[in-house]
Amino acid sequence: MTDEWVSFSQRGVAALVHLRGEIDLANANDIGRAIVARVTDADAVLIDLTAVSFLDSAGVRLLDLIVGDLDDRGRPVKLVVGERGAARMTLQLCAFRTDLLATDLDRAAEELAG
Amino acid sequence: MSETGGPDVTQELRLPWDDDPEDLYEHAPCGYLTTLPDGTIVRVNETFLAWTGYTRADLIGHRRFRDLLTPGCQLYHETHYAPLLSMQGEVHEIALDVVCRDGRRVPTLVNSVLERGPGGAPRIIRTMVFNATERRGYEQELLAARRAAEDSERRVRVLQQIVADLAAAPTEAEVAEAVLGAPEPAFQAASSSIYLIDPDRDQLIAVASTDPMTGNWEDMPCSSDRAVAEVARRGDLHVIGSLADADEHFPDLAQSMRDSGRGTVVLLPLTTGPADDQNGATVLGVLAFSFREERALSDGELRVIRLLGQQAGQALDRARLYDDARRREERSLFLAGTTRALDEEHRLLQRARRLVERVVPEIADWATVRLQVGPAGLVEYAGGPAPDPEALAVRVAEVIESAAPAYATDGDGVGCTVLPLTVRGRVIGTLALRMAPDRRGADAERLFLVDLADRAGLALENARLYEQERAIARTLQRSLLAGDVPGGDTRFAVETYYQAAAQDLEVGGDWFDAFMITPNKLAVVVGDVVGRGIDAATTMGQLRSAIRALASAENGPARLLEGLDRFCERVDSARMATVVYAEVDLISGELSYGCAGHLPPLLHEPAGSPQYLLQARSAPLGSRAGDRRRTEHRVRLASGSRLLLYTDGLVERRGRPIDRGFEVLAREYARRRDAPLKGLTAGLADTMVGRDHGDDVCLLCLTLGTEERLERSIGADPLQIALLRADLRGWLIGHAVDTECVNAVLLACSEAVANAIEHGYRDDPFGVVDVAATVSADAVEVRVADRGSWRGPGTDFVRGRGLQLIEDSMDEVFFDRGEGTTVTMRRHRETP
Repeated sequence: MTDEWVSFSQRGVAALVHLRGEIDLANANDIGRAIVARVTDADAVLIDLTAVSFLDSAGVRLLDLIVGDLDDRGRPVKLVVGERGAARMTLQLCAFRTDLLATDLDRAAEELAG
Repeated sequence: MSETGGPDVTQELRLPWDDDPEDLYEHAPCGYLTTLPDGTIVRVNETFLAWTGYTRADLIGHRRFRDLLTPGCQLYHETHYAPLLSMQGEVHEIALDVVCRDGRRVPTLVNSVLERGPGGAPRIIRTMVFNATERRGYEQELLAARRAAEDSERRVRVLQQIVADLAAAPTEAEVAEAVLGAPEPAFQAASSSIYLIDPDRDQLIAVASTDPMTGNWEDMPCSSDRAVAEVARRGDLHVIGSLADADEHFPDLAQSMRDSGRGTVVLLPLTTGPADDQNGATVLGVLAFSFREERALSDGELRVIRLLGQQAGQALDRARLYDDARRREERSLFLAGTTRALDEEHRLLQRARRLVERVVPEIADWATVRLQVGPAGLVEYAGGPAPDPEALAVRVAEVIESAAPAYATDGDGVGCTVLPLTVRGRVIGTLALRMAPDRRGADAERLFLVDLADRAGLALENARLYEQERAIARTLQRSLLAGDVPGGDTRFAVETYYQAAAQDLEVGGDWFDAFMITPNKLAVVVGDVVGRGIDAATTMGQLRSAIRALASAENGPARLLEGLDRFCERVDSARMATVVYAEVDLISGELSYGCAGHLPPLLHEPAGSPQYLLQARSAPLGSRAGDRRRTEHRVRLASGSRLLLYTDGLVERRGRPIDRGFEVLAREYARRRDAPLKGLTAGLADTMVGRDHGDDVCLLCLTLGTEERLERSIGADPLQIALLRADLRGWLIGHAVDTECVNAVLLACSEAVANAIEHGYRDDPFGVVDVAATVSADAVEVRVADRGSWRGPGTDFVRGRGLQLIEDSMDEVFFDRGEGTTVTMRRHRETP
């Protein structure tokens, strides 16, 4: 049901979550459920937002929940956003911690592995 | 002397010799006794003494009459004889057995008279005794004869009942049942079993037994040396009268007779054919019945037993013919029904499904159809449990290799029959099925299965071809409809929608197209080719290309339609296709259109209500009977006008007149005047025809001119926000607003609308949010208004974040709380 917006793969130790398209009030809950179902047991999580063309506060809330949960359990997480774009703008406006954000997927994966 | 000269019998004749009365008494041909009232014998004649062997001295004064009787007769004497004599004064022909001196018994008949004295008191009894020895023997013979007759009658009655049952038994099983029930009531047999010959398998099948625990009750080959098989081969009744008899001829039988305590066994072949000719008869089975004792059977009984064998044989024969006829009829009905059922489904998967569902449970308890289509093949199964997959795979591979059926045989490890599905000599797949082990008619069963496989093969191949064509047609259609619709031009926007028929129909010939004729001239088309399937899809592609080729700056709609008429001369399948064609001059805003047999376009200008464009109508393409004078009509469109082209599937609905359909369309279209263009056509199709529609639907909506001011009204549904965003994004880009500003405005606008939906219309699912946007040289301004009842901001952290995002992404934000809430937001444009 959420395949249009989210897919999963594995990158080294990290579960890699690919998000794409527009994430807003209408689909954020479903996407959140799909992600949580897949990353619960992951040692580390990478969320790739480079293909996200729109991200609203519902999307921010979703990311905030996932990051908070992983932090609590001591699992490292990185959000990969482009140099510019809607997702980066929204996350910056919401003042997400800079240590969470990465611009390059490969480097983020290395950092998690290290 | 009498007058007739005969002797006068009224006078005692004078005998020629002297007859002494005393001698007459003593030697009369019957016994005389005179007794006192208590029975004490006082006088007895010589005849009685000679019969009984007593002397006079033994009896007279010493014995009473009753003392001479058997104990049973003494009782009878007391209870009947004596009271009767006392009451009536005499008794007649009382049967009493007298015990002789040597203990013999003499059956007698007794008459007695009681003499009374002058006072009426009993004085003496005179008794006359007849010897009834011979008469009693005769009576006993009579009784025995009657008993024999009764036995015979009962046997006949039982057999009559069985013959009636046999006549009424329609199936072999019921005949067997009736025959099996005969020996016990008819001959007092202890148990009986029936074996039937299966000619196909050359086996004697143990069908039923009243006591299956008795004897060696199991199937055997017809060539077995067991007694049952021997009798079946010989075809004549065989009675094994004793164990010794069995020991001599049939050791197997002797053993089971010992085990089950049987003295006599009768083996009766059940035969059909001429009754008098033993050799002409066919043996269909054997009835075995047995007796605990050694039982001698009379000739009469043997006759009756043979008769039973013939009657049962004939009934079996008839039942088999009847069974065969019924099976044949069932099979042909099944085949006809299967063909019909398969025809009802067009799609391959559904047809394969139907096939296994027909086969299970009617003729098999498990069935699988495998088709060699596509990379993975197709497998449908029904019933269970599935047989061993490996053994089955081997058999399936063999069948595909040999193209010949592999039938199930006993103990082959798979237990199911695999039939090749063959079309034009090519094996397209297999049908595997497991049937109940059928006892007979294997040849007929095989013919039936081959017939079934033939029909199934053909039906599945047709479905496969249909599927193939359908896939090609669908691919073709998709490739033709897929979107090189011009976009990115701020002077217009096109939204299209195609919805295939819900029922599994072939693809239709509906299409849309939009293309630039010159940099300032846009053409839009919607058309409908007659027919369905790959032909319709191909023709549609040809027409689409023809229109693109014919469209030019010089040709208007009328000349283009004329060109299409000429095209139809060469491409006959395009004949009677309908087309609406329109050209828009993007500088002047002039629309010119022509309608060849197609439904009229629906135009909604910024002011007023939607209007159907009813001019410039002519006949469908290539029409011979219709008016083919192609005309065109021109209308100047105001900026912001929306033009809708569509096919008949949108307005035609069963049970609704088409003019009513037009009314509904106009109303729904008007209602969406301020809805985002994005999703407009899909929404219209959804409202007009729903999901369960029988026809394809094709729509094209053209919005003309850049709106200076974008105004939209959307329902309180989060899904609408994305549509609004798409519209707003296009409009902002059309006004050359920089990307950063676009993203910021989209975010703020989305948050504001989300707020309105989540807070303003928390309790009102029918609320409407109005959005208005304007672009000036230095800023973008968006106003989002709802009429809901807000709960104050900040009470919710999450929405607080939404508001924060609005504040952060826009330069100026004003809230106005009156009736509902209006948020006005402004963001400065980056100066290029």
